Amino acid sequence: MDLSQAALVFVVLAPGVVFGVTALLWLFGWAPSERVISRITGLMFSACVFALACLVWKLGSTGADSVVVPFGNWFTVHEYHFPLVLMADRLSLPFLGLTVVLVGLIGQFSATYLHRERGFLRFFLLLYLFAFGSLLAFAAGSFDLLAAGWELVGITSVLLIAFFQLRTGPVENGLRVFGVYRACDIGLLVGIFALHQWAGTASFAGGLPELGGPQARTLCLLLLLAAAGKAAQVPFSGWLPRAMEGPTPSSAIFYGAISIHAGAYLLLRVQPMLQQSRWASALVILIGLITAIHGTIVGRASADAKTSLAYASLTQVGLVFVEIGMGWKWIAVAHILGHATVRTLQFLRAPSMLHDYHAMHSAIGGELSPEASRPEERMPEPVQLWLYRWALDRGHLDTILDRFLIHPLLRLSALFSKLDNLGSETPVRRRERVALSVQSPAGQGGD
Amino acid sequence: MTPFLNLVAISLPWLAAIFLLITRRQARAVGFIAALVSVLASALLLNEAAFGQSLNQALMLLFSCLAAMAMLMLPLRDCNPNMISGMLFVLGSTLLAYSTENLLVLLAAWILTTVPFFMVRFFRSGAWRPRMGLLLSTVAFELAILLILANGHGMSISGMRGQSPGGMVVFGLLVAAVIFRKGICPAHAWVADAAEAGPAIPTALLLNGHFGALLVAKLIVPLFPDAARNFFPVLSYLALGTALYVAIRALSENSPRRLLAFLALSQSACILAGLESRTAEGMTGALVHWCVVTVATMGLFGILRLLEVRFGENLTASRHLGLAEHAPRLAVFFAIFGLALVGLPGTLGFCSQDLLIHGTLESHPLTGLLLPVAIAMNAVSIFRLFTRLFLGKRRTGFTVMADALPRERWILTAAVLFVVLGGLFPNAIVALGTLEPVRAESSAHVLAPGSINP
Repeated sequence: MDLSQAALVFVVLAPGVVFGVTALLWLFGWAPSERVISRITGLMFSACVFALACLVWKLGSTGADSVVVPFGNWFTVHEYHFPLVLMADRLSLPFLGLTVVLVGLIGQFSATYLHRERGFLRFFLLLYLFAFGSLLAFAAGSFDLLAAGWELVGITSVLLIAFFQLRTGPVENGLRVFGVYRACDIGLLVGIFALHQWAGTASFAGGLPELGGPQARTLCLLLLLAAAGKAAQVPFSGWLPRAMEGPTPSSAIFYGAISIHAGAYLLLRVQPMLQQSRWASALVILIGLITAIHGTIVGRASADAKTSLAYASLTQVGLVFVEIGMGWKWIAVAHILGHATVRTLQFLRAPSMLHDYHAMHSAIGGELSPEASRPEERMPEPVQLWLYRWALDRGHLDTILDRFLIHPLLRLSALFSKLDNLGSETPVRRRERVALSVQSPAGQGGD
Repeated sequence: MTPFLNLVAISLPWLAAIFLLITRRQARAVGFIAALVSVLASALLLNEAAFGQSLNQALMLLFSCLAAMAMLMLPLRDCNPNMISGMLFVLGSTLLAYSTENLLVLLAAWILTTVPFFMVRFFRSGAWRPRMGLLLSTVAFELAILLILANGHGMSISGMRGQSPGGMVVFGLLVAAVIFRKGICPAHAWVADAAEAGPAIPTALLLNGHFGALLVAKLIVPLFPDAARNFFPVLSYLALGTALYVAIRALSENSPRRLLAFLALSQSACILAGLESRTAEGMTGALVHWCVVTVATMGLFGILRLLEVRFGENLTASRHLGLAEHAPRLAVFFAIFGLALVGLPGTLGFCSQDLLIHGTLESHPLTGLLLPVAIAMNAVSIFRLFTRLFLGKRRTGFTVMADALPRERWILTAAVLFVVLGGLFPNAIVALGTLEPVRAESSAHVLAPGSINP
């Protein structure tokens, strides 16, 4: 294992090892102070940045395109194997760098932001796990491994949404986001299975497997389902404002920077295959375009800063999808890097927005002019009203999902429950229960 | 040496059970020591077993570890001689079923595991469906064995491989026994009733014997290769249908015990679907998933019982109870077991479900899609239960320390380490699971993937 390979392994594994050791020690009763946690975080991410810099330097000096670290197969059953291979190439390196730098910064920011907060340690444990999951997803050399990192990002995202656990709102919203994630991840799981069946492997460390037209189209559509779910594209956008219930630093890193762009990364990974299928590319463009329009309209009617930022983020990710569908791979990568950086800053400044405005007003000696170009004002008033109602209900996406999927499913579940309860009591017991209820009327008996 | 170790592993729990019923003292200590001796004997048996022939011993080790875990997790309130002796009885009988190659002994072990559930001292439940489910499965199995005997076949399972003893009638009876014992739709309701009304940890121990899957792996596949080839898709569809039906059913369930029972049932149906996929990935995935489901559901039921003892037995998933404030470590253990059950990466559940999904989709490309859908729904249900039990506004009025006691913490940590280390280094466990398809392939010519999937 040469220096660049060792550096890549260190970058990916360090957050995972720190998470595992810290969590295990906590289970045995260790309660580290905030200062200890903060120092561990700072040291770890500084070391990761250093290791990544070494990796980039080594790649630059040797002129190599990528670093591949094969660990063999994680497990093998007859002809099926789960390849365990890490890879850093020109596509994954920007994402690795972005993750390491931003998560490190967020860690330092959070040490102050969450000072004396209940769940300080829990936040940092989840941050380590998130860093490990996202680095694993971006450094994976196979779709199997990418799926493992992908799922870890999902679960940490949900647990951080429910971070303020004493309020039921964040907890319920976390559950909703988890449901959407799991439903869309079916696309990724089935896609990986299809790739194994058609190409014999899900590894892309030696280049993306070549598939025929219909197979490439099917695979792209399955992966698009997973990508759209993770990137909150229409029709799955409803979860994004719900995710804003988490602490601001986690919202910044998840929905401003890393997690929201993971879907775009997945599509960039399969971009050569996507270009084979015009229908799949067109669908990516269409979804991206609709999402961008949806995001900009709904964002204008959002009443709080974080939700506005989330929809602004959604608009940009929609445009990134359009760029990927058009085949502008490196423009999309540059867009992601720029957007993630700016949006993280905006999210982190959101809690002190009023303070910033006051500072600006003091500096200019008056209030900022609210005048701005609003294209919707040129529309007829009924259309404006309709659009406003539509935006207030966030495009009715959650309502549609509730009415046509969740409520029917719950009704079906209730029907199954009734069927299961048929005959659950013997006639003797039923008579006893009825007799008991007659003897002890409501309010006077019972348990 | 092997017969002696078998004798020790099986008979010591029985002797300990009888000893406890007579002396009625030091129940937990006696139970744990007996289970520990079974663990050691099973480990030695596994060590002695030849490569490719060690699946039975691996299952014996797993189940005896599970029994030891149950002994330590049992709260003081439940730790009476009747309960412990019942659990030891189930342990000895289950190990007997795993180790035997004789039909009559298997039948005896099958019946013996159900005996504690017909004794009011052990299973104080008014629900009739658990007893009916167990009774019907036993009757079906007995009839099958009687027909095999009546047709003049021997009692050795290995001696009847590929002979289809008794023909389709026996095959049908064995499948009926699997359906009733395993809780396959429409005979699934007894499992939830048993979990809700019976003692939580012993019931989990009984369910985790997975006798239905054992019957498929040990009898049906090797003895009836032709019938299995023709009719297994039907049973496979039933298993997949059960996984989905129960997953949907769990979405609106508010009783934590019933909800956990539905999740265990849905995941157990995935084991059956994997076994019946007749692909190497599916069968291996099923056997690895067997390990995951047993450890995870035992952990989940155990934690739920600990919560009931600490916070009252009227726990519900209809509102947020906020128990994590009082029991943060139990909350973490519950989350890890729950997420391992539904395939969190980094746990053994991720590997098993990866294999199961590949196996079932390979075998049934369309109906196989039900499996990832069912798993996704189960994930939502377990997360809902976790959030409702542990998150939300905390309940007031608890002044005692309610988190995991050192005894519980150690055993739960050991179980978590098994699930996590097994997930990080799955090859050893996957290799154990891979043995059975290879062995069956060479004898019954039914499990070779190439012969089934053109």
